[in-house]
Amino acid sequence: MSDRVLIANRGEIALRIMEACENLGLDYVCVYTPGDEQSLHVKLPRKKGKHCFCISSYRDANDILAVADETKCTAIHPGYGFFSEDFRFARRVVKRSRPLVFIGPRWEVIRDLGHKLNVKKLAFDLGIPVIPGTINPVYSEIEAEAKAEELFLWQEEQGIEPPRILIKAAAGGGGMGIEEVDELDQVRPVFRRIRSYAKRLFGDEGVVIEVCIRDYHHLEVQILGNMHGELVHFGTRNCTIQSIGRQKRIEIAPGFDPAYTDYPFDAQRVLDEITDYSLKLAAHVGYDSVGTWEWLVTREGKAFLMEVNTRIQVENEISARISRIRGREPNLIEEQIRAAFGDKLGYSQKDIGFEGTSIEFRLIAEDTKQGFRPLSGVITRFEFPEYEWLRVRTHVPRDEEYRIPTEFDPNLALGIVWGRDTSEAEKRGEQFLKHTVIEGYTPKGEPLKTNIPYLLEKLPEILKFL
Amino acid sequence: MPLDNREINQLLQSLRANPYRLYVVETPHTGYLREFLVKEGDEVTGPSGKWMERPGSPLFVLERERNPKTIRAKISGEVAKVRRELEGKFVEAYQPVLEIRHTLTQKEIIAELLRKTLHIVTAPERARYFLAPDLAKRIEKEGEGRVVVKPGEELVIMSFMKRETPIVHQGEPMVVFRLFFSRGQMVEQGEPLLGLCLEKERPYVEKLIARVKEEWPV
Amino acid sequence: MRELQRHLADLIDRVLYLQDIKGEDWGGSSYLLEDLRRLKERIFELSEREFLDILKSLENRLEILEDRAARSLTPYEIVRITRNPQRFTLLDILENVYDSYTELGGEGENNVDPAVICARATISRRVGGKLHLHQVIVIGHEKGHGEEFRNGGSAKPWGNEKALRYMRVAETEGIPIHFYIFTPGAYPIEDYPGAAQQIARNLYFMSKLRVPTVAFISEGGSGGAEAIGLADIRLMASRGYYSVISPEGAAAIEGKLKEGERPSRELVEFCARQLKITAEDNLRLGTIDRIVPEPPLGARRNDYQFFKRLRYEMLRATDEVVLKTKSLKAFRSYALRRQKEEENPPDEFDVYVRWELSEVEIEKLLDLRSRKYREMSAHVLGRKKCRFRGYFEKTQDVGMRLYHDLRYGVLKQGQKMIQRVMEDLSGEGVVLLKQLTEPLKSAYDLLAARPKRTRPKVVSGEAAPEEATELYVSPLALEDRTVTCPNAEKHGCPDIWVPDLYGEFCGVCPNCGHHFPLEYEWYLRNIFDAGSIKEFNAHIASGNPLGFEGYDQKLEAAKKRTGRQSALISFQARIGGISLIVAMLIADFRQGTVGVAEGEKFIQACDRARITKRPFLAYIHTTGGIRIHEGTLGVVQMPRCTMAVREYIDAGGLYLVVYDNNSYAGPVASFLGCSPYQFAIRSTRIGFAGPRVIRETTGEDIPPDYHSAENALRRGHIQGIWDRRELRKKLYEALLTMGGKNLYYR
Repeated sequence: MSDRVLIANRGEIALRIMEACENLGLDYVCVYTPGDEQSLHVKLPRKKGKHCFCISSYRDANDILAVADETKCTAIHPGYGFFSEDFRFARRVVKRSRPLVFIGPRWEVIRDLGHKLNVKKLAFDLGIPVIPGTINPVYSEIEAEAKAEELFLWQEEQGIEPPRILIKAAAGGGGMGIEEVDELDQVRPVFRRIRSYAKRLFGDEGVVIEVCIRDYHHLEVQILGNMHGELVHFGTRNCTIQSIGRQKRIEIAPGFDPAYTDYPFDAQRVLDEITDYSLKLAAHVGYDSVGTWEWLVTREGKAFLMEVNTRIQVENEISARISRIRGREPNLIEEQIRAAFGDKLGYSQKDIGFEGTSIEFRLIAEDTKQGFRPLSGVITRFEFPEYEWLRVRTHVPRDEEYRIPTEFDPNLALGIVWGRDTSEAEKRGEQFLKHTVIEGYTPKGEPLKTNIPYLLEKLPEILKFL
Repeated sequence: MPLDNREINQLLQSLRANPYRLYVVETPHTGYLREFLVKEGDEVTGPSGKWMERPGSPLFVLERERNPKTIRAKISGEVAKVRRELEGKFVEAYQPVLEIRHTLTQKEIIAELLRKTLHIVTAPERARYFLAPDLAKRIEKEGEGRVVVKPGEELVIMSFMKRETPIVHQGEPMVVFRLFFSRGQMVEQGEPLLGLCLEKERPYVEKLIARVKEEWPV
Repeated sequence: MRELQRHLADLIDRVLYLQDIKGEDWGGSSYLLEDLRRLKERIFELSEREFLDILKSLENRLEILEDRAARSLTPYEIVRITRNPQRFTLLDILENVYDSYTELGGEGENNVDPAVICARATISRRVGGKLHLHQVIVIGHEKGHGEEFRNGGSAKPWGNEKALRYMRVAETEGIPIHFYIFTPGAYPIEDYPGAAQQIARNLYFMSKLRVPTVAFISEGGSGGAEAIGLADIRLMASRGYYSVISPEGAAAIEGKLKEGERPSRELVEFCARQLKITAEDNLRLGTIDRIVPEPPLGARRNDYQFFKRLRYEMLRATDEVVLKTKSLKAFRSYALRRQKEEENPPDEFDVYVRWELSEVEIEKLLDLRSRKYREMSAHVLGRKKCRFRGYFEKTQDVGMRLYHDLRYGVLKQGQKMIQRVMEDLSGEGVVLLKQLTEPLKSAYDLLAARPKRTRPKVVSGEAAPEEATELYVSPLALEDRTVTCPNAEKHGCPDIWVPDLYGEFCGVCPNCGHHFPLEYEWYLRNIFDAGSIKEFNAHIASGNPLGFEGYDQKLEAAKKRTGRQSALISFQARIGGISLIVAMLIADFRQGTVGVAEGEKFIQACDRARITKRPFLAYIHTTGGIRIHEGTLGVVQMPRCTMAVREYIDAGGLYLVVYDNNSYAGPVASFLGCSPYQFAIRSTRIGFAGPRVIRETTGEDIPPDYHSAENALRRGHIQGIWDRRELRKKLYEALLTMGGKNLYYR
């Protein structure tokens, strides 16, 4: 193949994409911004004699495309974050006078599934359960109050105590512009506040009103599709262990394990249900890449579709670790690239089996005691053990000091363990965390903290309703 | 931390001996460097006019995605070290392209001096900095050197690791005398952001400025 | 001997004046001046006799010279006469034409604006040896004889505001107003109340001012003149000029001169000639009613003969205005008698006319004024006065009005009833009612909650209009390249991909909200309901009524390029089901400048909105002002269109103005600036004069954002700033909130 992929990302995912390209026999080009020169995603390709261009920002589409043209790339892989879910970027990549392959879903799919409310509407129409609340954005106060009243009533009927609703900006996300409301009297003032906030920040006054669900697990279904209409899944994941900013810290595949812990509902039925529903929506929109369907599962075993991530996820590898296509472990990034170039799957769902449990730990320089405050500084020592059941994905070099760039999340590494069952995986996880050493200092000269103690503390909580 | 006169004299002397600064002009982004619009030895000017409405002298043309952009001088001075070999080539972002040897103006000498005399708020991290919106609004309204900040008021917003952290004023109420960064600028750790002074120090600082103005012809 | 000396000094003055006008080396005037000066030096050497002889012969030479000069006056030389500091000013008129006067709101320099004078004055007439006094209010510009503080008669916005205040006083007291126009143009500053906006307010008020008004023009500089120029009779001094722009200004534009460059004398003369600025020209074009004769080289401050004539003319004009409202017969016989006196007006009048008007007569006065301005300049469109056609138009008009009166006037009551019933009803009956309440249906969509249980049903007051199904995409978007936002430096905007910018972003920078200009078709296609646009009067074509040399080709080129006949598009359309009339000035056709055709189309659109009882929207894609190539025929579109707007609003209409891109000068200072609801699209520039003109006339630099919409809002010139992406929604909301339940008619 004479195809060449521009990797429009940094860090761990850029390295994973390089590896996938090499496995598929594709050439690639890297980009970086000042401050990232030490990262392996720059040093490694340079050592191999690959193009590596300094650009003004990973968010600068113009620079990325200019480099792609200059180096005669034929495709762009956006990784996760940055341009991965930007339908405008995807549209530009394929619509420009020198079109490139966008390694991800069609731009229309990104657009339609990128909007939470639109997903809710699509799902609702297909009979897929969604969080009770408004399907369309609400603009009028009277309407908002009526809807809020309806939701309070519904919760009382369901015996949810105390009933609570969420009022949030339709165009918002990431925890911005959301408020919880306990009483009907508060609805109007909060509605007004959120509406003006939404107007100011997102330019759209639309507001969403939903039941506030507090006791739940965060589950995901890993989907893969292609332009030939083939559609498979690679099981489920459980990403309930999150920092206070709703950032994932530990992910486990599969999503529930009844053999490991007891559930107050039929766990396998719920997993099958969310998988089927996810495939239903994916088939409906003609999903043609890797993607993740995020679900809320309550203690009662009720599942609600939350949103769809139209990209490769950070935690993609744990799904791959437990999946076996005719006995062989897949690489989801390779599968994503193959799908983008128009390859057929070459297998179907019945060829996919599952084996064991995999856990991913995100190693991050942060102060978990102080609101997960990100830390910058220099890493002087970074060591981890080597086992055949362990994979560590990192862009941090171990042969020199590494200065953490301050413009991005201080993610250092992903540790992925596998065990024949969850208990074994848990034990191995503990082993990994206990034998990993990250030392360094902050700009103020204090020792650099990481979240390893936090991860160890949370490890026993995985997969359980506590 | 006012300096004594001797130290100020020393500082002024060293500035007088070498009243130049070298500014390296870099490419703001990738693209083809189509042509140079200056040659070595040319005098260029930065933005000027009462409202800075007249842009600086054109230096070179950088074309990216069929958008030829004229890169202009942000500061006045003499052009040096023009990298002719880049002409017609595709360049990466932040490539040095030429240098401008800039003669310090009276205003900049004053800024240098102020860095040494004012209470300086420094950048706690290498990050991008923005003036706190409230303060920015007040400064726009009342002018630099007029606004008094009380303890607990937000001075600067630091955009760091995708989070926005406010830097809050501590200590006595002070006058925001000078800003040392522009909106959204990447500032190295420890570099000055703001220069503050106590209301009672203001006459001293103003006297200092008057002195430079007298000794340093425009 | 003293007398002779004075006589000599007078002769020297006359030569200098002549030189001022014709140029220093014209026709041997410098030799004459030399001779006169030599005579002055030798005054004590000569006997009285000798002196007188030489003086006489020199005076003879001067008279011959003056005669030659008068016969060869060029339009530009007339401009120089008008501007000469020796020319009579308003204060001279107040002293010499009126019997007594009290200046109001000013005393020399102590004045809100010394360039504008208001006074309560009496003017007398002799009938059969008896003296009768008339009360009037005099409002006009004072140029002064070289005093700096008079600012050359250039009125500041607050000067015009003062004028308006005393017009109100005149109306309260029911006494006529005499306007005196001595202005090179209004002083171009934007500070509240705003040069343009105040002129617009004045025009709006004058169009229905309930007292007789007479205007006298000596120096009629465009918009500044109109600020006090909408009168029942407009007189003009025979050596005055009335123009859309100063000849120098026109020359700078025609010659495409850079700022600071001075146009050549030839070019200025050429422009002065082309612009048709003299009294004769204006009389022929119908923009004035009568000429007040001056001495051949213009009247100066001590020309008492002229003041006598002016008094006669002002009395006569006021009489005529008054008589016209009383009885046509009386007016005709009066006019006939006056015509006979034209050559040599007598000192005495044969009648005394009372200037008070009854209510009926006031209505008549307003009606006549309206007709006068509606007809002014319309003749150049070649609409021949065909009796039958007039008849048909009238019957059609009446028919249409009847229909719409019935539909929205009488039915309106019923409709309101239905509405009320509808609000009381539960959901079941709604389907039936929908058809009945047709024009209001979008406003009262019923939003039902999900029918799970019986929940309170919500009547939404803020339903949004349906989005246009298929968006029109600008052809600008069809290019694979990027552009830099002009605010990139300030706000750090990334380069924008053109297809995104002109497609999905509607020409708006997603980072800073800067609006890039878009072609007018975009608005036609995206703002109004699909397929709802019905254009009318597309055939009314811009012409070259002054025969401006070289302009025909430019006009032809504009017509060919745009496929349009004028810069104004008028049409009927719907927004979210609300039907309205729209007048749109487009940038592509001569920068959206307004001439006779545009003015006529605007008036007809306005009238159609009035007759069909529709809201009226003026969407200004861009306007560069009054089209200079049409001279004062263009200028009179200001009072004309404002008259139409006033009548529309008085009849109960809802008039909205939306500015986009650039809106400057005449139109803003008249039919746009007078709207109670003016909005601007973001990044619009609105003003009276552009930065260059401001620098050249005021000598002061202005900040780059001087004309920005934000500043216009801050100064109170507009009522709001809208985002282009929301224009459709905003218009819909505005129509609903401002029109309310009485959308179609107040």
